[in-house]
Amino acid sequence: MKTQVWLLFPALILTAFVGIFPIFALVNYALQTPFAIENRFVGLTHFGFMFRDYRFIDAITRGITFAAICLAIEIPLGLGLAYMLRKPGKINAVISALIALPTLFPPVTIGMMWLLMARSNGPIGMIFNTILTSIGAGIYDPFRNHMHALGTVILMDVWHWTGLVFLVSLAAISGMDETYALSARTEGATRWQIFRYAELPQLVFPLTFVSLLRLIDTLKIFDEVYILTGGGPGLSTEFVTQYIRTVGIEQWNVGYASAVSLVYLYIVIVLCWLMITVLTRGRGLIE
Amino acid sequence: MKTIGFILRIIILVFVSALFIIPIYFTFSVSISSKPRINEGAIVPDFYLGHWIEVTGGFGYWRAGIINSAIVSLACMLIALLVSLPAGYVFTRIKFLADKHLFFWFLTNRMAPPVVFAIPYLMIWRGLKIWDTYTGLILAYMVFEIPITTWIIASFLAGIPKEIDEAAYIDGYNTFRLFTKIILPLLRPAIGVAMFFAWLFAWTDMFFASVLTSVNAKTLPAQLLTALGKVGWGVEYGPAAAAGFVTLVPGLMLLYWVRKYILRGFIFGRL
Repeated sequence: MKTQVWLLFPALILTAFVGIFPIFALVNYALQTPFAIENRFVGLTHFGFMFRDYRFIDAITRGITFAAICLAIEIPLGLGLAYMLRKPGKINAVISALIALPTLFPPVTIGMMWLLMARSNGPIGMIFNTILTSIGAGIYDPFRNHMHALGTVILMDVWHWTGLVFLVSLAAISGMDETYALSARTEGATRWQIFRYAELPQLVFPLTFVSLLRLIDTLKIFDEVYILTGGGPGLSTEFVTQYIRTVGIEQWNVGYASAVSLVYLYIVIVLCWLMITVLTRGRGLIE
Repeated sequence: MKTIGFILRIIILVFVSALFIIPIYFTFSVSISSKPRINEGAIVPDFYLGHWIEVTGGFGYWRAGIINSAIVSLACMLIALLVSLPAGYVFTRIKFLADKHLFFWFLTNRMAPPVVFAIPYLMIWRGLKIWDTYTGLILAYMVFEIPITTWIIASFLAGIPKEIDEAAYIDGYNTFRLFTKIILPLLRPAIGVAMFFAWLFAWTDMFFASVLTSVNAKTLPAQLLTALGKVGWGVEYGPAAAAGFVTLVPGLMLLYWVRKYILRGFIFGRL
């Protein structure tokens, strides 16, 4: 049986080539100023510079704020919708499919859809324009106003990913043990008490899982935002992913971009480790 | 009280459905509107089919993008599947040194932000002369696809008892026969889901395509980016909307095929 370990080799060699090799290259680039006029060894200067680079610090803060807001909207919304649609039936099935649909769309198409809609004569643009002018808050313009741009990006992410929270919640709710809720109802508990003390404890695990999943995904967001706002206006929707691309590929400062990439990769891997530990309750991935 | 609750529920559900339909409807509406109508808003289309003809017919860059996307995503799907079937088998059936750590490392590749890999790939692929080729793009996607497919297959395989393998070995099967006669038929749903997500990733990705290709292997999403004026010339909303719709269609068709297992795949595939 042991000899069959060689079956792993094709996957291992391929993943090592595309997964490890580039990381070594990244470390190598991060310690020098490669592909520049003068290539010299700079040691850890790039990493030190990151602490004084306000554009980078702002991008990280913005990313975390963005992730927090998105999660705060998507998780309750997805869970609430799953509660409303948990009974089987034709209408519920159709609405469920509609909610889940955007999770399958390419991010680039989502970005384009919202770009079309956010123009001043698209539906979102017209609706928000009417609302904002009627309360006297000026006109809606996500391509000039910083807050409007960030708001539109958040709305887009909610539209794109609530479906995932919804699907996971729906599966969790249908797998719930009903007896707790039933006995709570017999004891005369209110609907809220039933949810809070009899049902929520059973949903904690899937909800933690989907929250961490969304957290990692929001930290990786690139395509949609790049299409919709391109990081602008100003730097108001620039996240770390976009910053790395700008520094590394557009400004050709490969050394510094590599250093930022490494730090960012480390943050994401720690988050993933946290997620898997929570997900499997410390038992490891495969049993 | 009960009727008010019921009406409220209906109102919320109608609102939610509208929220999810409007963007899709509007994109379709833009794709069948002529240019002056798009400038006016195109809430109601005027059924101008020029954009669709431009995107799907002829020999233009759109068509090249669709063909490139199809080639790259199908190749990715096949390679990822061929490589990850045996790997998933090893991970679930055989205990070896540091197997869990190795599996975690596999998965971290999937979770890593694509942008982290973009810079080294750009440099290394240029050095290896595979920049702007199918090979380069397919290799770049492998870093994300092998982990997904391996995990999906491993998780389904864990549900198939080991005793089946042992019985087969006692009956004199070798590993190859065990695979083709027993494991593959049992794994059919897992293979469907793994194929779907492997394909979906390569089909939808814009980032790698925009960094690692320029002309010869430019995929449809990268073409879409150019059309939206972020990289190249002016904005062409109409063809972009039509092309955006083209990116949705195969996914919806495949979704129908694997719908029963989709949630499981979602949970693994999105990681």
